[in-house]
Amino acid sequence: MTALLQAEGLQKTFHSRGREVHAVQNVSLSVSPGEALGIVGESGCGKTTTARMLLRLEEPSAGRIMFDGADITNAHGRHLIAYRARAQLVFQNPFDALNPRFTIRRSLTEPLRNFAIPVSEHQDRIESVMRRVRLVPAESWLDRRPHELSGGQLQRVVLARALISGPSLIVADEPVSMLDVSVRAGILNVLRDARDSLGLAALYISHDLALIRYVCEQTIVMYLGRIVEQGPTAELISRPAHPYTRALVAAVPVARVEQNREGLPIRGSLSDAPPDPSGCLFRNRCPSVMPRCATEAPTLRTIAPGRMVACHLEGAM
Amino acid sequence: MSLLSVRDLTVTYDTQRGPVRAVDGLDLDVPAGSITGLVGESGCGKSTLGRALMGVLPDRGKIAAGEVIFEGQDLQTFSASARRALRWRRMAFIPQTAMNALDPVQRLSAQMAEILIERGGLSGREATARSSELFRLVGLDPARLAAYPHHFSGGMRQRASIALALALNPSLVIADEPVTALDVIVQRQVLDVLRELQARLQLSMILVTHDMAVVAYACDRVAVMYAGQIVEAGLAAEVLERPLHPYTMGLTHAFPDVHDSQMSLVPIEGSPPDLHTPPPGCRFAARCPFADARCNNEPPPSRPFGPDHLVACWHAEDATTLRGRAADPQTWAAIA
Repeated sequence: MTALLQAEGLQKTFHSRGREVHAVQNVSLSVSPGEALGIVGESGCGKTTTARMLLRLEEPSAGRIMFDGADITNAHGRHLIAYRARAQLVFQNPFDALNPRFTIRRSLTEPLRNFAIPVSEHQDRIESVMRRVRLVPAESWLDRRPHELSGGQLQRVVLARALISGPSLIVADEPVSMLDVSVRAGILNVLRDARDSLGLAALYISHDLALIRYVCEQTIVMYLGRIVEQGPTAELISRPAHPYTRALVAAVPVARVEQNREGLPIRGSLSDAPPDPSGCLFRNRCPSVMPRCATEAPTLRTIAPGRMVACHLEGAM
Repeated sequence: MSLLSVRDLTVTYDTQRGPVRAVDGLDLDVPAGSITGLVGESGCGKSTLGRALMGVLPDRGKIAAGEVIFEGQDLQTFSASARRALRWRRMAFIPQTAMNALDPVQRLSAQMAEILIERGGLSGREATARSSELFRLVGLDPARLAAYPHHFSGGMRQRASIALALALNPSLVIADEPVTALDVIVQRQVLDVLRELQARLQLSMILVTHDMAVVAYACDRVAVMYAGQIVEAGLAAEVLERPLHPYTMGLTHAFPDVHDSQMSLVPIEGSPPDLHTPPPGCRFAARCPFADARCNNEPPPSRPFGPDHLVACWHAEDATTLRGRAADPQTWAAIA
């Protein structure tokens, strides 16, 4: 299937106190209609910056972004507005994503106006999107204000607002991390259903591999701005190829008393990035480091259909 | 015998809408040498309970009733200064954000020294030696004692606040969401530090968390809190594998398992009751798919099931059947 969203060689370099910080380096990815792609990694790995560039909220330092066959890397004016209507962001924190003075109805009407949807369609659109996020009957919610809603209900409104313009792509950055455990599942299920029934493409950004597994068929693992591994989520978790992915999978606790409590196959901490960025950025923490890792940056190579890893290890599988 | 035994504890807060019972008639036992997970969602009163036990409630909060028996003594009979003397020495606190435990403008060495010298009565030389020992204990390089907190990563800060908490050899450590703000690898490393220290020093620990997986990983006991009360408590292996309370059953299906893609998650519909006007019966009844008339009218008492398992549910006898039904999303959807 042709990709809906495609990025090639995305880079983002920030300048901080005279130093260059490579927040994102050479990230390429694609998402097809109806497909959900997850980007997983720890704080500072570049996953949020990548998402912001894809949504054109952040200017890439280099690279190209294609959406539905058109190059939108430098789109502006009405082309950018048209893109925004079709690629929507779901905010992380529902408690400050909505204007506290607006009723829910007004929060949902704003995007319809921004994207010049005829007024005659507004009521139908609002009712159908409220059904989709399961806030029914819509009339009992629409005249309320955010402070009258719980976190889970607010996040449903945030989803409704993202869906109301009829987007083809949803980008969700930690969509449930601010919510209570008991209501997270409801939000994830709404997102899954929206994707299935509307054929949306979805991009999820999270530090939580368990969440990514629940919603994404494909996963990209990032470490210090680079993609270290990508592939079908289930395979990547059951047979991680990159030593970093291995540590990441091993670190996720499960809600069973019987579980692996062995020490993690990783050394040091995120701040132990090698001072010289020419080799592999994971080498200072890698249990399988070799001399070659210090001199030669591993590039992404295919190890099985659909699976890629950036690691020099022969048996990285 | 329990190191800590809480009986019928009620904590109230003054609010604009009148007093609210954030903790309401709560019982809890913490045996010596265990890690007890205190699980619940925001607003259930778990942090309030932790603060009440430490004697550090905010001004508008107070213990309105009940007993807190710690090492055989009723803390309610203690004067404020006697209470203060217990802090750090017998019981210590690790807050969620290590920055709240650490003074941003003081070097870690000075913060350690303050506790060791002023609270613990050590000499300057002893304090220096003990600080290095504590840093090694939590896996930090003693050379980093000269650093300021902002020089540390999140995980290092949390290790430093654990070192501070352990400075005077307390027998009980209360940790309020100590790993929530951390990345998964760092979270695991900090949990391992806590587990190792608990075993080595035979500490008791209360680990306040919203995350069942953290409980399963690190705790040998668990108490599940809902709307100001403990609804289920016991050995972690018992409570997590054979939950008796529908809320606990719901929580076990509410979030994804990294090793299982087949499971479909089951949200617990609705929200907790407003504690200004708690319902007359079981507080979970409005969200419970198994609630009947009695549940709505009479609060269920806490009852023992097996040697080390307590539950407050009228339907605990049917738990085996209910567990099967609780795994089905349709069961919970009916509540919506």
